[in-house]
Amino acid sequence: MPSAAAIESLFVDELTAATRDVFKTMVFQEVEALSPIAGDTKRPGANVVGTVAFAGRTSGLVVFHSSMDAAQIITASMLGIDPVNVNGELPDAIGELTNMIAGSFRTRVAHAKGEMWAISVPWVTVGFDFYTRYVSDVQRVLCPFRMKNKAELFVELIVTRSATQ
Amino acid sequence: MRFLIVDDSSTMRRIIINTLNKLGHQDVAEAGNGREGLDRLSAGPVDLIITDWNMPEMSGIDFIRTVRSMPEVKDTPVLMVTTNAAKDDIVEALKAGVNSYVVKPFTPDTMREKIEAVLAR
Repeated sequence: MPSAAAIESLFVDELTAATRDVFKTMVFQEVEALSPIAGDTKRPGANVVGTVAFAGRTSGLVVFHSSMDAAQIITASMLGIDPVNVNGELPDAIGELTNMIAGSFRTRVAHAKGEMWAISVPWVTVGFDFYTRYVSDVQRVLCPFRMKNKAELFVELIVTRSATQ
Repeated sequence: MRFLIVDDSSTMRRIIINTLNKLGHQDVAEAGNGREGLDRLSAGPVDLIITDWNMPEMSGIDFIRTVRSMPEVKDTPVLMVTTNAAKDDIVEALKAGVNSYVVKPFTPDTMREKIEAVLAR
């Protein structure tokens, strides 16, 4: 059940910076950050979703959403291969990408606020026309990004109510 | 030179192998966790171990502690590649016997410089 309370802007800024840094260094492609969308009014039509949970004083999820085509391009770029040659590597690559975004986000928050979090191993869902609903009281913010080929990606931050201001 | 990469992510192993290949190193063994890493070492020594921290079955830290207790491979240089970037994490890794540390995400140049620095010791 999403709440109307807003997620701290510092979290959104650090998640955006972490995502851009991971794409620049590990995917070898700059992504353009678009305006974050609070709540769950926008539901990305993603085919590939990578998730990493974090827990500490603040708990929640970092969720990466993309189309299958964008995930193939990202995977190919990370591995140094042609996108047409991407086969079974995609889930592991998107899992590692999500792991790095969440890990970098955690480090940035630790430096900014002194909060230390544990993070989970990543898990990846591949499918069509699905939406994740949360039964506990959470806040969500969706951070959209645009790749060079105009494909949209989304990194969503979901936090428990106690973490919001 | 022979290298051992220990990481549960096949993507990260491939990224590191690509970097090693660009440096002219082709002889690379792979393992998906610390336990598999010990199995690979039992087949023969390597010149450099590059390991992740968080892995199933045996973590990178436990793997390194075990390596440092094995007379035949205890002096093998170890480079740790991980998202664990807190000061306490780095201290723990160094205490376990890590020679150098790369925080993910990293640029190819950073990885190359760390590998060359560890090998030059």
